Amino acid sequence: MKPQRDVYIAGVGETKFGKQRLEFDALGRIAALAALKSSNIDRPDIIESAYVGNATNGLVTGQTVLKDLGMCGHMPIINVESACSAGGMAVHLAVREVACGLSEVSLAIGCENHSLHMQSGTAFAPAMTDIETMHGAVMTGKYALRAQRYMYETGAKPEDLALITVKNRRHATNNPYAWFKGEISVEEVVNSRMVASPLTLQQCCGVADGAGAVVVCSERMVRKLGVDKPIGVAATVVRSGPYHNRPRDITGDDITEACAQQLYEQAGIGPDEVDIIELHDAFTISELLYYECLGLCGKGEGLRYLHDGNATHGGKCVISPRGGMLSYGHPIGASGAAQIAACVKQMRNECPGYQVDPAPRIAMTHVTGGGLSGTEHAACTMHMLVRP
Amino acid sequence: MLFHPDLLEIPADGSPPYLKGYRCRACGQLDFPKLTPCPNCWGEEFEVVPLSRTGKLYAATDIFIGQGGMKPPYSFGYVDLPENLRIFSQLEGEIGSFHCDDVVELTVGTIRIDSDGTPIISYKFEKVSG
Repeated sequence: MKPQRDVYIAGVGETKFGKQRLEFDALGRIAALAALKSSNIDRPDIIESAYVGNATNGLVTGQTVLKDLGMCGHMPIINVESACSAGGMAVHLAVREVACGLSEVSLAIGCENHSLHMQSGTAFAPAMTDIETMHGAVMTGKYALRAQRYMYETGAKPEDLALITVKNRRHATNNPYAWFKGEISVEEVVNSRMVASPLTLQQCCGVADGAGAVVVCSERMVRKLGVDKPIGVAATVVRSGPYHNRPRDITGDDITEACAQQLYEQAGIGPDEVDIIELHDAFTISELLYYECLGLCGKGEGLRYLHDGNATHGGKCVISPRGGMLSYGHPIGASGAAQIAACVKQMRNECPGYQVDPAPRIAMTHVTGGGLSGTEHAACTMHMLVRP
Repeated sequence: MLFHPDLLEIPADGSPPYLKGYRCRACGQLDFPKLTPCPNCWGEEFEVVPLSRTGKLYAATDIFIGQGGMKPPYSFGYVDLPENLRIFSQLEGEIGSFHCDDVVELTVGTIRIDSDGTPIISYKFEKVSG
């Protein structure tokens, strides 16, 4: 949606990602407190509503996060689930809330702990009621199918895909919030343990825990709180994935293409104007496909876009400057909010050691969600952020 | 135990098994699996149509880290049938042997073992021999 009135991000927070001994609610509070403090908010009753994204940690997760912050009772807390899109969707809803004038200040959180709950040595599956899951589907494998077809049609090699991991880990080198970071060679990536052919372990996002939080507010509240560097929300879009049990091209992604098109139209900003993007690089192949789906280059030109250095510092658009999911890992309900937190920090020039230079003026985020059979993804959430 | 009777017919007379397509009697749309009602017109009456037993493998992968409760490695892929339907299916055959655009045919086998140890039977595809 294009906001009905100007909506700003006043502050953001994120936890370090990785295997955490803290439960989802404690992680959510750490990110929320950081976001609240960076918004100059010093007491709980300033916030008028909250949207809390979580996918797997149970019921009333939002209230569980917020009760210790004194934020239960005076305001609605709405729990948001859409698999990997949950955190991004929570921010989308907070923006809607403020855009429609229902709240002056709304808090969005995405938080998740997998490692305290998930059986090790297993891969994520879509819901067990899903026909593909019953027949053995895992998310790694569904992306592997996209990779197989992409390689078959374009002649790309596993070594080409590996370059995505190499790039994103390099971006994350000095990012204290990232989990896997620093130099890794193409050989190390392709020779790591096979997970779902052709995707090896180092081409898959880690099963991680973490949280991100975003304080969304009106222009009036930006002034009242004395926020230094508010970031504008030019547009935010949520779409559901079209269902089709027919042959289709999975080297494209219908939901991402439609979502991006709508976002560009509503924001009045085209792909060439975007300075940085955090996208759904859960696997190497996905980032490569999304270059094309987001219109950064033409169909079938993703690999050339990467090889030409367009997706890194000094290129056309720095993609995954925080290191992406390939560096952070992917706590599924958290990632969408954490992407936005990371972009806002980049736009505010608050990323020492991994700052994009000059500080980006326009940032875009993209997070899909849910491997529902018959859809490429059940959900997709995108945001376009602009530094005024 | 058969996973779901709406998906697969294994005729008692020994003739080859087939997947069951569902053609909406109101609008004619053909779907697999069965969708109720028809998502196109909300029709609720369907004719069962035996689907082609061979199709083309659009893409395949070998899984080395699988779902909890499933023993890797195993393979799955998308099979495109001439009826303009795409079937997600486990693949029966050697790991590493499946490629895009291989011709595959329907077979029946165990897709998983239930938590109480019961094998769950459903459709699979395998490469056409020769």
